[in-house]
Amino acid sequence: MKFLMQFLFIVIGSFVIQLFLPWWSIAIVAFAAGYLLKSSQNFLAGFLGVALLWGAYAFWIDLGGAAPLADRVAGILSISKPLLFALTAVVGGFVGGFAALSGSILKQDKRKNLYY
Amino acid sequence: MKIIWFLVSLVLTLALIFALNSSWPLGGTRIPPLGKFLSPFEGFWQNIEAKDQTLSAELNISGLDEEVSIYVDSLLIPHIFTNNEADLYLAQGFVTAKHRLWQMEFQTHAAAGRISEIIGAGKDNAVLNYDRGQRRLGMVYGAQHALEAMEKDANSKLAVEKYTEGINQYIQSLSYKDLPFEYKLLDYAPEQWTKLKCALLLRSMAQTLNMGDKDIEMTNTLKLFGKETVDLLFPDMENVGDPIVDNTGQWNFNPVTLESVPSALPNELIKLSGKLPPSDPTTGSNNWAVSGSKTANGAPMLSSDPHLNLSLPSIWYAIQLHAPGINVMGVSLPGAPHVIIGFNDSVSWAVTNAQRDLVDWYSIEFRDSTKSEYLLDSNWVKSNIVEERFNVRGQNAFIDNVVYTHWGPVTYDDTYHAEDNLKHHAFRWIAHDESNESLTFYKLNRANNHQDYMEALNHYSGPAQNFAFASTGGDVAMRVQGKFPVRRKDEGKFVLDGRKTSNGWQAFIPNEQNVMYKNPERGFVSSANQYPADATYPYYITASNFEAYRNRRINQVLSALSNAKPEDLMNLQNDNYNLKAAESLPYFLEQVADLANLTEAEKVALDKLKSWDYFNNVDSEGASYYEAWWDALMPMTWDEFRKENVSLSRPTTYHTIKLLKEQPELAWFDRQETPEKENAKALLQAAFRKGVADIEAWKKSKNSTTVPWAEFKDSYIGHLLRIDALSIKIKHGGNHDIVNAHSRTHGPSWRMITSMEKEGVKAWATYPGGQSGNPGSKYYDQFVSHWTSARYYPLAFLRSKEEATSLNHLHLNPSKK
Repeated sequence: MKFLMQFLFIVIGSFVIQLFLPWWSIAIVAFAAGYLLKSSQNFLAGFLGVALLWGAYAFWIDLGGAAPLADRVAGILSISKPLLFALTAVVGGFVGGFAALSGSILKQDKRKNLYY
Repeated sequence: MKIIWFLVSLVLTLALIFALNSSWPLGGTRIPPLGKFLSPFEGFWQNIEAKDQTLSAELNISGLDEEVSIYVDSLLIPHIFTNNEADLYLAQGFVTAKHRLWQMEFQTHAAAGRISEIIGAGKDNAVLNYDRGQRRLGMVYGAQHALEAMEKDANSKLAVEKYTEGINQYIQSLSYKDLPFEYKLLDYAPEQWTKLKCALLLRSMAQTLNMGDKDIEMTNTLKLFGKETVDLLFPDMENVGDPIVDNTGQWNFNPVTLESVPSALPNELIKLSGKLPPSDPTTGSNNWAVSGSKTANGAPMLSSDPHLNLSLPSIWYAIQLHAPGINVMGVSLPGAPHVIIGFNDSVSWAVTNAQRDLVDWYSIEFRDSTKSEYLLDSNWVKSNIVEERFNVRGQNAFIDNVVYTHWGPVTYDDTYHAEDNLKHHAFRWIAHDESNESLTFYKLNRANNHQDYMEALNHYSGPAQNFAFASTGGDVAMRVQGKFPVRRKDEGKFVLDGRKTSNGWQAFIPNEQNVMYKNPERGFVSSANQYPADATYPYYITASNFEAYRNRRINQVLSALSNAKPEDLMNLQNDNYNLKAAESLPYFLEQVADLANLTEAEKVALDKLKSWDYFNNVDSEGASYYEAWWDALMPMTWDEFRKENVSLSRPTTYHTIKLLKEQPELAWFDRQETPEKENAKALLQAAFRKGVADIEAWKKSKNSTTVPWAEFKDSYIGHLLRIDALSIKIKHGGNHDIVNAHSRTHGPSWRMITSMEKEGVKAWATYPGGQSGNPGSKYYDQFVSHWTSARYYPLAFLRSKEEATSLNHLHLNPSKK
């Protein structure tokens, strides 16, 4: 349950924040989610939350797109188009995952080391 | 303990963000900043235009005096309606940038020698060397002079200022998310546009069209083989077909004559292994205008068909400009105001390159290695040393000292292409001088009749063009316009002695003595880069290459034409008849008739060739065999002209065929790599076998049993960054030397037909690309299929806003700053 809350917070929070701030703002949201809504699978929540958001949004843009730019970019990067979606998801996912993990570790430490 | 883990995790997160927010060099190329680039919220995904996107919008733009309406049609052609000229050019700059910003900036960076700022020095410094070459040719120096001239006239000054302002308004409105795709891919951002960039773009077109000179190659030919060879293999006039203007005996003026003697022929060998790449000799163009006497409805018609290196985003950008005193439509060059080729409600015009030699090279004698003084008319004269700085991406800035002389910049010296480091060569180019071509286009856009066209052209210096003209008033005309030096015999063919000012250009042909005529008896005017005038024209004319085939085919078809409709002109633009093959293949086949021990493949080849109709159509196999034979023949014939570290140039196609036919025992036909002594016949046989072998190798690699011409030609429209994934492969007929002049990489870049009807001008057009420069837009390559299948779009030439009601509306309001 906590995991699901954390995950949803990351998905929705990342979506909203990226309307205003650059892409790396996903780390702020994931970090906060790790800290405030700490679960037993913080990295996974951060990873899946951002990966799913990025992957799905990219897929949706491509679906409604009028030109095959995704195919062209896949060609430039010498990878297949499915792999391009995967790469998009994974790149966002890792940042989200590590940020959430960082937040969750800080929470635990804060209680023990108040001077920090 | 946990704090350590926290720090490790935090540092890892931050490092990851940093790594994914930066671009990294990887083996000569660059990986884009993956986080930024792949983010669907701001990265390249945002460049994918939605199927249901609307083109209508309302924007506030500062700098406008009044409201502006830009109507956008289904081809993404903007039709700009303004109440005054200042707004008109601001809106042109704005909307052009909206569709082509990256291309505009990249092309002007390329012109100014600044590509290494964007993509680094390149493999073996190739990009940096390209940039140095641009500076050493004086591109910026020429553009500065052009801008000075532009600013001397109030009208061209206003246009360039407002156009620049419009581009900058657009640039200021951009955030990372909105940047054109290529900026994201290469991870950089647009800089402010400047008026100089407009001038650079026009000079860059001059470079494309003027750099076909062979002065250095001919000097080497002279040194290695002697004057007789030069005269035999490289005649000034090939006497083939009609000149652009045949006015025999009617040149009624007193030509400028020069008292001084022609300069002595040089006696030097110029060793350059990597001479700057010349203009592609297959770059050419067609244009013609047909009188009402030859058309079905009695109105003159005009055809525009400039051939250039085909690229994406496209070279041309179609646009309509409407304001009090002007209503013009056609194509512009993204980065420069006005319509360059097009029509208004009274006149239309089209251009082809005039080919004439407008560049010269002068050898310079410096006093010492500082190059601060050089010899001129027996005096040591101070040179001007300009420090050129290259802010190469990813490394320290590179400094290059370029020495300017009386003639112009010293391009080749001991620091640049120093293979021959005792010699220095300065570059003299007509485009270094002040000239205001913008004013010509400003006036042509507003011209009402032949007289206005003539006046507009008086301001035009270069690149010299053949301007075809047709009007609703019933006139057709042709004028070869440019600033042409008066040349003495052989002047401009070879490298000149830069120690004497008398070797320079002494005078220019007065505008009114340029080659031109109006309403000739034959009922049409035409040009296809052939020789400009009949032999009685009283000036010496030289060029590296005049066209020999397209012009004859065009004139043959136009002469036979009557009751012509627009479709007839469209058919001619797409004509695949290979006149060169028709003139040479029967002779070639005779030479291989008794060839012994034919292989199966060679028998097939002969059958295909014998039954070929001389049309380079998409599925023609005969065309493939002929072209493969020809491509094997040229290097084999002129093997003497392939020497390491010495630039040499082969004779022309037409002259080669002529010599093969008329002087088959010429010593040049001997192949140096064989012990036997070959003549034309043996040479053609060897080339035949090589051509067939090449075709067989192609078939094998493609796993194909046939060799259709379009497959074998394998043409493509390349993206400016030479990225395959952004380029488009094309299956299309034609070739160089054919009216449908589409070779592998070059071809018709703006096909337009106008019918100059008094009741209202009609126009049809297509080009190989599309209006948008965005590879994520359906308009990126929208026109390609029409272009390859010889179909045209009727252009929506609007007379008033009322005709635009069904179109998308981009509404610009003036905003207070």
